[in-house]
Amino acid sequence: MTALLEITDLSVDYGEGTGSTHAVNHVSFTLEHGEFVGLVGESGSGKSTLGFAVTGLSKPPARIAGGSILLDGVDIASLSTGELREQRHGGVAMVLQSGMNALNPVRSIRNHFVDIFRAHGHVARADWGSRATELVGKVELPAAVLDRYPGELSGGMRQRVSIALALSLEPKLMVFDEPTTALDVLVQHAVMDTIIELQKKENFTALLISHDLGIVLESAQRVLVMHEGEIVEDAPSRQILEKPGDDYTRMLLSHYADPRAEVVELPGFEDRHRAPADAHPPTVSSRTRRKDQKAIVVDHVSKVYPAPRRGESQVTAVDDVSFTLEPGQSLALVGASGSGKSTLAKLITAVEKPSSGSVRFGDLDVGSLRRGQFRRLHRDVQMVFQDPYAALNPLHTVEYTLTRPVVNFTGLKGVDARRRVLELLDTVGLSPVEEFAAKLPHQLSGGQRQRVVIARALASDPQVIIADEPVSMLDVSLRAGVLALLEDLREQWGVSLLYITHDLLSARVVTDNIMVLNGGRVVERGNTAEVLRNPTDEYTIRLLDAIPNPGRQDVA
Amino acid sequence: MTTQSIPPSTRAVRAIEEASIAPAPSPLKVVLRVASTVWSNGKARIGIVILGLFILIAVFAPLIAPYGARQNGFDRSADASAAHWLGTTAAGEDVLSQLIWGSQISIFVGLVAGLLSTVIAVLVGLSWGYVRGFGADVINFIVNLFLVIPGLPLMIVIAAYLSGGGIGMIIVVVVITGWAWGARVLRSQTQSLRSRDFVTAAVFSGERPFRIVFREILPNMTSLIVGNFFGAATAAILAEAGLEYLGLGDTTVVSWGTMLFWAQNSNALLTGQWALLFAPGLCIALLATSLTLINFGVDGISNPRLREGKQR
Repeated sequence: MTALLEITDLSVDYGEGTGSTHAVNHVSFTLEHGEFVGLVGESGSGKSTLGFAVTGLSKPPARIAGGSILLDGVDIASLSTGELREQRHGGVAMVLQSGMNALNPVRSIRNHFVDIFRAHGHVARADWGSRATELVGKVELPAAVLDRYPGELSGGMRQRVSIALALSLEPKLMVFDEPTTALDVLVQHAVMDTIIELQKKENFTALLISHDLGIVLESAQRVLVMHEGEIVEDAPSRQILEKPGDDYTRMLLSHYADPRAEVVELPGFEDRHRAPADAHPPTVSSRTRRKDQKAIVVDHVSKVYPAPRRGESQVTAVDDVSFTLEPGQSLALVGASGSGKSTLAKLITAVEKPSSGSVRFGDLDVGSLRRGQFRRLHRDVQMVFQDPYAALNPLHTVEYTLTRPVVNFTGLKGVDARRRVLELLDTVGLSPVEEFAAKLPHQLSGGQRQRVVIARALASDPQVIIADEPVSMLDVSLRAGVLALLEDLREQWGVSLLYITHDLLSARVVTDNIMVLNGGRVVERGNTAEVLRNPTDEYTIRLLDAIPNPGRQDVA
Repeated sequence: MTTQSIPPSTRAVRAIEEASIAPAPSPLKVVLRVASTVWSNGKARIGIVILGLFILIAVFAPLIAPYGARQNGFDRSADASAAHWLGTTAAGEDVLSQLIWGSQISIFVGLVAGLLSTVIAVLVGLSWGYVRGFGADVINFIVNLFLVIPGLPLMIVIAAYLSGGGIGMIIVVVVITGWAWGARVLRSQTQSLRSRDFVTAAVFSGERPFRIVFREILPNMTSLIVGNFFGAATAAILAEAGLEYLGLGDTTVVSWGTMLFWAQNSNALLTGQWALLFAPGLCIALLATSLTLINFGVDGISNPRLREGKQR
């Protein structure tokens, strides 16, 4: 049996001449008929570039610099646009990460199918309706969605629709580029299950591109690991899991663990059981105001938003939540999107006002703060944002970004302020500090940006840091570093940490206590390790089950 | 690389020489980069060349112009000749000289009125986009008022009311009627920027609203503001010519608008002196076109996709 896809010595460059970058560097591999293969790599590894090249969708400035892509013996790179379009029927189809946004908002789902049927003419006009119904049925959607518009469907449903659209041309090879990354955790799991089921039933060949080794190991039979444009490992899933051959693969694997395990250790973290919190007394002496530490008290707080449209009921984002964040404590706030965890963060930082109940920080009533009084709160309560790419003004140097809070909160000026800024950069591990101070955000990597964001949060010498999904936008290998930094800050500076996340594994390694939110209500709370090891609420169990874990399940 | 340890103290930092302040990217470089982006656009290049020519003519008018602007005593309503390339007016003035001197007024009014209305648009638009509640509603009402009143009648009314003010009056009229649209555009951009994380982060850094608006948000919409300036300058040049043509300005000043006014008054078209109407009209059109062409290039600063578009 000959291979379906044969890639030999493929190189893809961005740009031309001396300034070009080799995104894919002399890559060779084959895909057999009916195989489910995963392609794993971190951002910038060239995995998506490779995926686009395979589907013949490479766009300038990307260009194929060498090698061949043979699909059933035909070189895709040599096809004209017209031939490529015909080849799509029974050839290669692709599902994109943003595929759910690729649907035209003013056309019904049925029209999307009809467009494809009409363009290729492979389905008789009389069968259009039944074929479309059959296709959405395959992705476990009711026929009723055909008459809906994309805006009326949830993200998961739209991604299912785009999978069904890709299926409509009976492709031999389906390329999934991060098909679930933009979706909510619980939905992610369900869509992934559908993809695996479909592949078994329809018997197409699947190439799953993902940054998440866990998801890939759970679904694929064979895994290609990509690093800096080269494939560093090509082996069956089980072998990758048990005997990874490459250092890079081993490094990726080391960042996975089961949050339910008795002892959880990640690179840079030892288990909390062995190192109880009081074993690390605060050591940084530069923190001056530790003595008057205050607790954040959230007392029966609810937040109700008015109905989004007339005739709909109002939205209760947070429903009667109470907790206390003691000085020096770390508390995880966990839940899927829409569970109200970010709204809670807004209430604590006075960005929103509670509908009922009260938020107090020491003797400060946060709920009744006016705009002009924000400084009083932000001197002690600071925030680390989710997206380091959006949280830094692209036009200001790191030094300016850090100098502002130093000047505003500590009253230092000139040389003293600058020394403090350099201290902060040193604290977050960005050295040489002088060099980093002069940089603009776009000259920094995602992990370095997030460190700048953390340094800014530290500038006012705060007592509380609220971290809203601080690592969800970062590569796996960078996450541990940023988390370890937060953890060290808590131990050494004695700040308390409210850690908001959907990622239970990271919650397990950085927090002592946990609260699980569902639909704005606290469904479970307690010691992090205990809650995750013996979850009692059904929702917590579902969240735990949704975590891809290469070691937990039998790999096909 | 995964383990992160914090140095116990900050000794290393203390050692750093306090004098060595690393230089930020110099503003000059930024300006050069922006200029080269604009220049790389073919249409903008044509616009810059035309505008540059007009500015040179305006600056060196005393050297170029063969006669004075108001120097008369030549043959009246003469046709083109070696002495008077574009002929003379009904009052016996040299048309070419008037055209050259007149460029000063048009460019001056265009740049000053464009600049002033842009400044007002920035001040109003940015604060309007940033504040919420009652204040925003008040500004909304005022801006809408200026937007719904038809521009030309408003201009004529104000000009008639302030009659006899000369160039300064024209600028005031153009600015009053020209700022509102820019303010609305800048306001919507401010609203979309203010919800970005880095603006929230600035609030957390303890920044005052004034500083957030003008140091965090404003620099991120530079190209929009520059574009607004060229748009406003174009409108100002056209409005100035229009008002003077209607005789609402100071008709003793020589500008392209007053040239048209006098040409119309002396029935230049009937006497076959087409150059009297045609020359200033063409100059106004060319100057306005050059500014519009430059704006094509300015679009490329904020939207890289427009820059790369020509590669496909």
